[in-house]
Amino acid sequence: MGFRFTLGLATVLSGLGMSAPAARAEGTVVVYCGVNEAWCRAAAKGFEEKTGIHVDMTRQSAGEIYARLRAEKDNPRGDIWFGGTGDPHLQAADDKVTEPYQSPALGQLRDWAQNQATRSGNRTVGLYLGALGFGYNAKELAEHKITAPACWADLLKPAFKGEVQMADPNASGTAWTMLATIVQLMGEDKAFAYLQALNKNIDQYPSAGAAPAMAVGRGETIVGVTFQHDLIDVAKTYKEVRVVSPCEGTGYEIGSMSVIAGTRHPVEARKFYDWALTPEAQAIAGKNGSFQIPSNVGTPVPPEAPDISKVKLINYDFAKYGSSAERKRLLTRWSTDVKNAR
Amino acid sequence: MTLPSDHPRVQFRTVGKSYGEVAAVRNISLDIAAGTLVTLLGPSGCGKTSTLRLIAGLEHPTSGRILIDGQDVTHLSAAERDVSMVFQSYALFPHMNVLENTAYGLLASGMKRREAEESAVAKLKAVGLAGFERRLPSELSGGQQQRVAVARAIVLEPKVLLFDEPLSNLDAKLRRQVRDDIRALQQNLGLTVVYVTHDQDEALAVSDRIVVMQGGFIVQDGTPRDLYERPANRFIADFIGNANLIPVQVMACDGDLATITLGTVRMQVPHRGLSPGPALMAIRPHAVRVAAGKTGVPFRGRVCKAAYLGGHIEYVVAIETVGAEVFVIDGNVHAPLAVGEVVDVSILVADTALVPASDEK
Amino acid sequence: MPWVIGFWASLVVVPWYGLEAGLSSQSWPAAAEAAWHGRSWLLVLLPPVLLASLAGGLRWPRLMALAGVSGLLLLALEAWLIAGKSQPPLGWGALVYASCALVVAAYGLAWQGWCRGDVFIVAAIGAVCASTLVFVGYPVSCVLISAFRDNAGHLDFGLFAAKITDRSIWGLDCLTGGRNCGVAWNSLALACIVGVLSTLIGLAFALIAARTHFPAKRLLRLMSILPVITPPFVIGMSLILLFGRSGMVTAWLNHWLDIPRSRWIYGMTGLTLAQLLAFTPIAFLVLLGVLQGVSPSMEEASQTLRSGRWRTFTKVTWPLIRPGLANAFLIGFIESLADFGNPVMIGGNFRVLSTAVYFAVVGAAQDQGGAAVLSIVLLAFSLTAFVLQRAWVGRRSYVTVSGKGDSGQPGALPRSLHVVCLGVVLPWIVLTASIYGIILVGGFVKAIGSDNTPTWEYFLTAFAIGHGDHGFFLAGSAWNSLFTTLKVALIAMPLTAGLGILTAYLLSRQRFAGRGVFEFLTMLSFAIPGTVIGISYILAFNTAPIELTGTGLIMVIAFVFRNMPVGIRAGIANLSQVDKSLDEASLTLGARSAATLRRVILPILRPAVVTAMVYAFVRAITSVSAVIFLVSGEYNLATVYIVGRAEFGEYGLAIVYSAVLIVIIVSALLAIQLLVGERRIGRREIAQKRVPTPELAQA
Repeated sequence: MGFRFTLGLATVLSGLGMSAPAARAEGTVVVYCGVNEAWCRAAAKGFEEKTGIHVDMTRQSAGEIYARLRAEKDNPRGDIWFGGTGDPHLQAADDKVTEPYQSPALGQLRDWAQNQATRSGNRTVGLYLGALGFGYNAKELAEHKITAPACWADLLKPAFKGEVQMADPNASGTAWTMLATIVQLMGEDKAFAYLQALNKNIDQYPSAGAAPAMAVGRGETIVGVTFQHDLIDVAKTYKEVRVVSPCEGTGYEIGSMSVIAGTRHPVEARKFYDWALTPEAQAIAGKNGSFQIPSNVGTPVPPEAPDISKVKLINYDFAKYGSSAERKRLLTRWSTDVKNAR
Repeated sequence: MTLPSDHPRVQFRTVGKSYGEVAAVRNISLDIAAGTLVTLLGPSGCGKTSTLRLIAGLEHPTSGRILIDGQDVTHLSAAERDVSMVFQSYALFPHMNVLENTAYGLLASGMKRREAEESAVAKLKAVGLAGFERRLPSELSGGQQQRVAVARAIVLEPKVLLFDEPLSNLDAKLRRQVRDDIRALQQNLGLTVVYVTHDQDEALAVSDRIVVMQGGFIVQDGTPRDLYERPANRFIADFIGNANLIPVQVMACDGDLATITLGTVRMQVPHRGLSPGPALMAIRPHAVRVAAGKTGVPFRGRVCKAAYLGGHIEYVVAIETVGAEVFVIDGNVHAPLAVGEVVDVSILVADTALVPASDEK
Repeated sequence: MPWVIGFWASLVVVPWYGLEAGLSSQSWPAAAEAAWHGRSWLLVLLPPVLLASLAGGLRWPRLMALAGVSGLLLLALEAWLIAGKSQPPLGWGALVYASCALVVAAYGLAWQGWCRGDVFIVAAIGAVCASTLVFVGYPVSCVLISAFRDNAGHLDFGLFAAKITDRSIWGLDCLTGGRNCGVAWNSLALACIVGVLSTLIGLAFALIAARTHFPAKRLLRLMSILPVITPPFVIGMSLILLFGRSGMVTAWLNHWLDIPRSRWIYGMTGLTLAQLLAFTPIAFLVLLGVLQGVSPSMEEASQTLRSGRWRTFTKVTWPLIRPGLANAFLIGFIESLADFGNPVMIGGNFRVLSTAVYFAVVGAAQDQGGAAVLSIVLLAFSLTAFVLQRAWVGRRSYVTVSGKGDSGQPGALPRSLHVVCLGVVLPWIVLTASIYGIILVGGFVKAIGSDNTPTWEYFLTAFAIGHGDHGFFLAGSAWNSLFTTLKVALIAMPLTAGLGILTAYLLSRQRFAGRGVFEFLTMLSFAIPGTVIGISYILAFNTAPIELTGTGLIMVIAFVFRNMPVGIRAGIANLSQVDKSLDEASLTLGARSAATLRRVILPILRPAVVTAMVYAFVRAITSVSAVIFLVSGEYNLATVYIVGRAEFGEYGLAIVYSAVLIVIIVSALLAIQLLVGERRIGRREIAQKRVPTPELAQA
């Protein structure tokens, strides 16, 4: 009468070994990290060394973290959302899946970082600023005998036909920043006229925001529109890459940080939050190959970072261009008027 | 381990089996006595294999009950029944050698490997396969494979041993030998065997009892002699041994005998429950004697075909007065008749049987 | 009866709540929870146990079945009705209770003659159906339901209708000169092409491997396996490095032959190539098993019937391997539909459903409903392919492994076919070799193609071993994720293969109601993009009653149910060649179906088992999308690490890690091959002489 229900047993047994998750003990903080792997790891290590609190770190892109927070909202698993472009942080604040917290360090932050906190009701705060721009491959440019582009307008030159890449703003936050930037620079109708003209030069709209940087590095395309720090990163390996801050002015992202609503480790989460805003913590980025502008005025700007005095930043309206309705409207218009036109 | 045979070894109580709309077996009741070899005989599609699989537990009945040694096994799985089966295709496990195949059932029932292999070797020896233990089935001839299949089944000493057309993959000569081996084995070991075949010669040769099936029903159930000499209907008369089925008229019944007219001739034969009216007379081919010349017998015929077969001659003879052709087997090979010759035809009445004119159920 | 004792134990011994906390948790058995913690509703679980004790003692079938079924229903009701804060998620007690109830029900039903009275079969069908429902049906429906909701969560069928007819899905602009067609058409066209071509190329490989004297068969097998074991986007990346506009081959052609550099590799052409590289090997594995199973005597029979090699191939071999072809096509088709890594890497402007789904969830639009709508389209395609495949295979018999020993030799290939096969296989090997050359070299130079200075930097970052005060320690940043990955993969591998083969056996050997639906359900998790599966697992298993997120278990489960279908397909294709009388013979010899499965079916199905294990292991190591939402700090996986690096352009690290994974997987494959071994059914290797003596045949 006793046949063995081997399979079920095996599941049960193997489950035993695997089922205990991260210790729920005091002294742990679960970080969803949206910046690059090296920085994430170094930050986790830095915090552990500083405080003795164990950091349980998972790296994902900002969009993935936001999707995950929404899925987990009835039983949150994470404590801190560290880094990643600001828009999803603002959306998360809207959805109340993050909770308000005012760090004592708030006063030491640059204006744009404090503004980010203000417009979200303190549910998020600026961690770093990354300026939009474009890069070109000097070798390919020379081969094609084209003069180096300096402005957004230069990208419309017929010489660049099929030689420009930008990501698809429907998929990529980076490309969305570019779309919003152009609209704010030129006004909506002129902006779309520009984007339509640019469309003739676009070789492809990849899905990932940083993909154009890599394509420029490998010489698959001449010009790629993306964040300047991503281009600088690629330029370390591919020496032909030159980074351009457009002459008309450019938009930017505010990499942000939020405490996840319903955090299981509120004390540790806040400790991490406060620590992440210190100059000491922010200096970790530059040492690990991330060259954005840090938000604490006391943090030395890494020498590789774009010289902010030479970058002409526009007055980016995060409230307007972060709202779902405006986003949806512009994206729909872009899809019909630009991408699918032709 | 066997009980005193208060019960028949296998009992079917109004067992039916249908696949959706199609009924394979219709309300069969059947008892199989211990120590006997019972053959299920019938044309393909008659339900005999389904019946066998019902005993094995490979099919479960849609209605009715099945008992083995008085125990209700209707819902027991095949593995829980003390029944073994030899498959038509032998179903030898291709990845196991002969010894592993033979010891398989013993190991499954929890016997120690060494013991199991010893019994397996003994049984292989009994079927004449000593020395073949390490071969794979693919390295054996058909007859050898068949014997492995038998050894594998009998090593378990099952209450019932089932054979599903075991000879159909063998050549004619081997068939007779294996048939005799199976019968000898059954009698030596006192096995209860249920044997499925569509070959009536095979059935007659090996069986204690034959169950003839047709269309999911049992049509007749009896000893080989019963079936041969007293077929229940024209189907059986024709199916078991050849029979010339000649239309006759039953005139009257008196005691056990009926008076019939065959052509212009009257004769008396056992009526076997028939009442006056049209009927058929089953005449075995060897019950017809033919001879050249005029001896004054009632029937005269003309030879239409003749075939010399060494031991005997087969004739087809047209009998004018009856208006029928009869098939004749004649042992007299030294005085062959020529085609076209007019002959005297006599019938051994003892070797005939009356059957109903139509097979009603 | 042990299962009734287990039934009792589940209520009075094993802690009822808190699967995630393990056995040492503070939860009490259900009886104690009911008595002292005010959770009196747990008492409804008692009557089924009492009933089962009674019915088990008296061997009363109907009552036994009632006890089991009511136990399952009451457990489900109790768990879902009283969810939320008043009770924690279910734990081991509940799991044991559910298993025992299932087996008790199986006994009850088997005693009534279900499945020919076979308890194991009834229980196995029940267990596989139940687990598939819980781990595939339930989470997937959690996601799909969002297709009918607007962003605020209200039901809105109009919105669904609008979304599903959107031009971005069904547009045909590319036919009229526009840049893009709808993603649905793109995906469909790509999947059809990849499905057909991967099946044909896989067949060419299988024919060469099984039917010719090709000298380097082992190399061939290894080469063909390599793409399976590579994280998907790596293939795309290598293709760009070779054939991109600045790729090495492109530069060479430009320099020597003056062929202008172009970007043909981006888009449908390159994507087809990348997917073929990735998925052909699976077709090869499936077809090889089937081809080896074709009875040589059938081919011999055909040749004696005045059919030449070509006619034998087209009229006998080809029809006989039809189930294999159909299954290989289905796998290729569905893999192509669900593939994410390659389209992202190399798709260019060619958008497909799987990437559209991903970016609908995580992209700037943040439209989960839209993702669900796209998933529905994707599922519709899979379902259609599934139905067509079944129709094509039909009800014919493909039995070629019968219980009769078969001593024939497989026929040689028709000459023209042989040439064609070689023509396909040889260039393919060259292509594969160059791609893996890039991968192996790429991790050890600064920037392959642009700065070819050798460097150990990437390797050391990932896999350095430090030496400190306490001896050696693993200093590299990749060790942690590597070990977790191997652990999860090793646990998932036997479970996936076992469940897959068991399911294949049930599907092809048992008749039970709802079999077709069940079969499709098992294909479901395979057909849906991993991203959707990941999200669906969070939605379904983040809160009570079943809470698994944050554990390693959820990853194992995700892998098992996602990768199981390959085992099922291979198993079904192989089983359709095995004569049913073999199972029946084993049963009548007194081996129960569990033993029959283990001792007769599994050995005969070795090729399918190998396929399933290899696939399960490899996929657990290389898949990204399904688990990217399930990983936690404790259970970080290799591919997630690789993607994290590649996303920021750290290709050196990504490549070096991939290379290490490949080396590990290849050694594992060799180990599996050794462990499981070849199928021994006494077919002679082609071109071998007769083996006359029993002694030799042993070897």
